[in-house]
Amino acid sequence: MLLVVISLFSFLPVIFIFVFADQKSAMQSLVGAIVLTFSFTGLFASQSVYFNKQWFRFQDMLVASKVSPASYAVGLSVSGLVVALPGVLVALVLLLLSGPAPAFGILVALATSLLLWIGLVFVGFAIGATTKNARRANSIPQVLSIALGFLPPVYYPLSKLDAYPAAQAFAMLIPTTHAAQLAKYYFGLVDIPGWQVALGWAYLLGFAALMGFLASRRAHWVDP
Amino acid sequence: MEVVRVEGLGKTYPSGTKALEGVSFSIERGQIFCLLGRNGAGKTTLLRILATQLKPTAGRAFVLGHDVLQDPKAIRPHIAVVPQEARPQMMLSPYDHILYFCLIRGRSRADARERTRKVMDDLGLWEHRDKLASDLSGGLRQRLIIAMALVADPEVLFLDEPTIGLDPLGRRSVWHMLRELTRKGATILLTTHYLDEAEMLADDLLIVDKGRTAFLGTVEAAKGDTGVGMRVIVEPPAGNGTGPPEVLEPRSAEEVLAIVERGLREKRKVTFKPASLEEAFIKIVGGSIEVEDT
Repeated sequence: MLLVVISLFSFLPVIFIFVFADQKSAMQSLVGAIVLTFSFTGLFASQSVYFNKQWFRFQDMLVASKVSPASYAVGLSVSGLVVALPGVLVALVLLLLSGPAPAFGILVALATSLLLWIGLVFVGFAIGATTKNARRANSIPQVLSIALGFLPPVYYPLSKLDAYPAAQAFAMLIPTTHAAQLAKYYFGLVDIPGWQVALGWAYLLGFAALMGFLASRRAHWVDP
Repeated sequence: MEVVRVEGLGKTYPSGTKALEGVSFSIERGQIFCLLGRNGAGKTTLLRILATQLKPTAGRAFVLGHDVLQDPKAIRPHIAVVPQEARPQMMLSPYDHILYFCLIRGRSRADARERTRKVMDDLGLWEHRDKLASDLSGGLRQRLIIAMALVADPEVLFLDEPTIGLDPLGRRSVWHMLRELTRKGATILLTTHYLDEAEMLADDLLIVDKGRTAFLGTVEAAKGDTGVGMRVIVEPPAGNGTGPPEVLEPRSAEEVLAIVERGLREKRKVTFKPASLEEAFIKIVGGSIEVEDT
């Protein structure tokens, strides 16, 4: 129960946006919160990986079994996702109550979040499996969560950065921006050109593939 | 049948630390093979290489005929490991720990439940099955970790100081279980700092010192090779003060007889003390096992 409550933390900014901004912005921030819930469960798998490796020593026991590093990382992250699902469901219900959203749109929006989640599972696994320092294992994902979640236009619309082209260009380098833009688009909350939709999907696919490649090269399932 | 073969194995860590150098040995099926050495001697490094958790930098090692570096996936389903200083998840029950590790091994749920019950019974954990791990004593937690490995019913079991923290009865129940496993054909490699444990269990032992082989053979050979034989203690004559007893190491039956005859003649108490592995170990590595090396 406590874990479910903690998983709702990514929805806190939505309340502030709802109070201090208009309803449309609040709906966009709800979509952003869904995207970030998926992102954070992937990224924060690093803590489970770290503690299972360095503290409980379970990774050593699992290496000496049929378990593969990919299934281990995904399994750990799915357990976090299961805990976070009640929050995602609440957000989806609120979005549906606020206006009509096509079923296909909801599915595709969730697919973009899942794609981002896969990439960040690899990032989380690489962090957790390479660091030997508990503080780093805790602080690196926290710093990354600010860089990936709270600074880029995930809760707020990308158009807010129209006045700052450099910041907007920089935001486009961050994977959560693309996932959030696509999710908002498929929910019918923003209108973006076709090339930007294609770029978003390509970016997320490339990000997941690149992170998978880097994790396979750098993460220590077997110690060097 | 040879289950483990190690040929000139070496390991230099990326930091430049040389942990192992030129280690060679083999282990037959059904043997208990003990690794002894001072802290930092390279025991855990060797065990982790054989358990496919660490890559060697020199030599070769084979487990069940497969190269640990070339073909680790063929080895992993048939082995299990008890790592040094492993701890259970505090908010999970012993039953769940063991059941999940059994399921991870690919058993069906019904089979896993049955196997979990069996292993918990064997290790005296069944009565604690529903407690949280945080409520278990240190000894029970260690038994739980061992159970998580044993539940796999492995062909080769690697144990890194498995009985640390166990009381004498707990240690004996683990020894009994290990012997049972070897009777069924399992092969065991264990590291320990308890020399009585090695003396009790080891079919063969390897003493490593600074990453190199210091001794390889049986316990009896260790005692013999180092000249640590039987000791005869001759107490001072009665009513002759409290001088120290004579401690003699006879080399032959004739010498033993001569000492006994002298004791009888001088009315001195003569006692016999068998040599211990600890004495042999100290002679081999040249210091106490408690001395930190690195």
